[in-house]
Amino acid sequence: MASLRELQAGFAAALHGQPAGLLDEIAADGIDPAGRLRIHENNARAAFEGALERIYPVLRRRVGDDYFRQLAYGYRELYPSRSGDLLWVGRDFPAFVAETEADTGYAWLADLARLEWACELATNAAWDPPLDVASLAWIPEDSVAEARLGLQPSMFCVSSAFPVFDVWQANQPGASGESVDFGRGGQQVLVACGPDGLELRTVAPDALHFVRALQDGASLGEAAETSGLPIDRLPAVLGMLFKTGLVTGVNGAAREKGS
Amino acid sequence: MSSTGRSNLGRPVPAGAGIGLRPAHHEALVRGRPAVGWIEVHTENYFHDGGPQVRALERARELYPLSLHGVGLGLGSTDELDRSHLARVRRAVDRFAPALVSEHACWGSHDGEYFNDLLPLPYTDEAARHLASRVGQVQHELGRQILIENLSCYLGFRSSRLTEWEFLGTVVAESGCGLLLDVNNAYVNSVNVGLDAHAFIERLPAGSVQEIHLAGHTRKLVAECEILIDDHGSTVSQPVWQLYEHAIRRHGRVPTLIEWDTNIPELPVLVGEAARAQRLLETADGLAA
Repeated sequence: MASLRELQAGFAAALHGQPAGLLDEIAADGIDPAGRLRIHENNARAAFEGALERIYPVLRRRVGDDYFRQLAYGYRELYPSRSGDLLWVGRDFPAFVAETEADTGYAWLADLARLEWACELATNAAWDPPLDVASLAWIPEDSVAEARLGLQPSMFCVSSAFPVFDVWQANQPGASGESVDFGRGGQQVLVACGPDGLELRTVAPDALHFVRALQDGASLGEAAETSGLPIDRLPAVLGMLFKTGLVTGVNGAAREKGS
Repeated sequence: MSSTGRSNLGRPVPAGAGIGLRPAHHEALVRGRPAVGWIEVHTENYFHDGGPQVRALERARELYPLSLHGVGLGLGSTDELDRSHLARVRRAVDRFAPALVSEHACWGSHDGEYFNDLLPLPYTDEAARHLASRVGQVQHELGRQILIENLSCYLGFRSSRLTEWEFLGTVVAESGCGLLLDVNNAYVNSVNVGLDAHAFIERLPAGSVQEIHLAGHTRKLVAECEILIDDHGSTVSQPVWQLYEHAIRRHGRVPTLIEWDTNIPELPVLVGEAARAQRLLETADGLAA
């Protein structure tokens, strides 16, 4: 009699279409053991594909159901699930799509996948109480450059050489699905999920670099320098971050005495 | 059994009928506050730091007593117990203060690969002891008793030497856990693997059944033989209602949940099914042998 460990090893192989080592362990009861095992094989595959379909609806819509299933099948072979939480099934899908589509003329699909994965992460991340822009007024003018901003945990940055935001927007429920002009070039997107739900907004490349530097812990001065964001545009970018609730804290700079 | 507006945090699940809450019904539940006694959610859907789903559950749990039902621990797996998953279960339990916490009598991973399915165990002493040991570890980590649900099966193992009720009875005796009796699963197993569903319900340890699940299934032909798929995608079938009456006759008034996970209908359909279970529960004393 096989040990429990051996039985599960045989079952695991059967779930990948190799049932031979397990068939003698299954009671037939009128139905071929291979047929019984196929129910579990189908269930496991459906759970995996269903999770991907939920996370990547726009990608699925753009490539069609058949090709999406092909992608999911190939992805599962190379990147099997490593968690009992189905959310994480989607983690490596953008990398897999990038590998698969590298030389096909559809490299933008990988960036679309990265955008949808950012949406998924944002939708499951915390939204902390936003800070009012007046908080900056407490900081002496000569210390502003040293200030470090705390940003929303649910904010994610996506940069693409393709207009992936336009593709995403054109394929939302109720949208026309109209064709996107790929000649317009790349887009940089800030993704966040607050009390009103998921919000995506496009920003300039240097603004996205600036926000990424802040996320990495840079001070305002360091972030402006590394991103190349001109100083005259800094107020507008900071204003956008505060106005949209994406700033949650300010530290690292001395406050005015008495404030 | 309708909600009263008082906080239900930590309140026990009543011995009445509740519904499985899925994201499609979050808004309708909070807005309409239907007359159901309690709600249950899949633990893994609320593992994360925030977002609309977590906020929705925080609102719902103030209106209804809550049960957390896990689908991802795979306690019968011979891989090491997934400590990070268990830590997230504990975090969800601490955060949402559920009255009941449950898992399944199944395995789900091998050599680090997760199949994200509830996979069957052989009914052997080895498997029962292994599962009981894992249940004990979870109960120790959570500091509370958990309930273990009987599985729907599409196959049986030649190596099984115990009946399903003996297997679960061993797990209960060795771990001190309670049971979540899924009556639909028992019926599905009667067709799929020849389980005597009446005997199964009759012989589960007295006092061990602390929750009941009811759900729908579909029929499928495999090699010209009928097999029932436990898809939770339709109303509870008549044979399952009859088995349910047998279950509450045997185990008394037990909190009962309507589960619906595929082809999810409008909320009133679930509420209607829960009302039917509630009516049967209210006659349970009269049904008791």
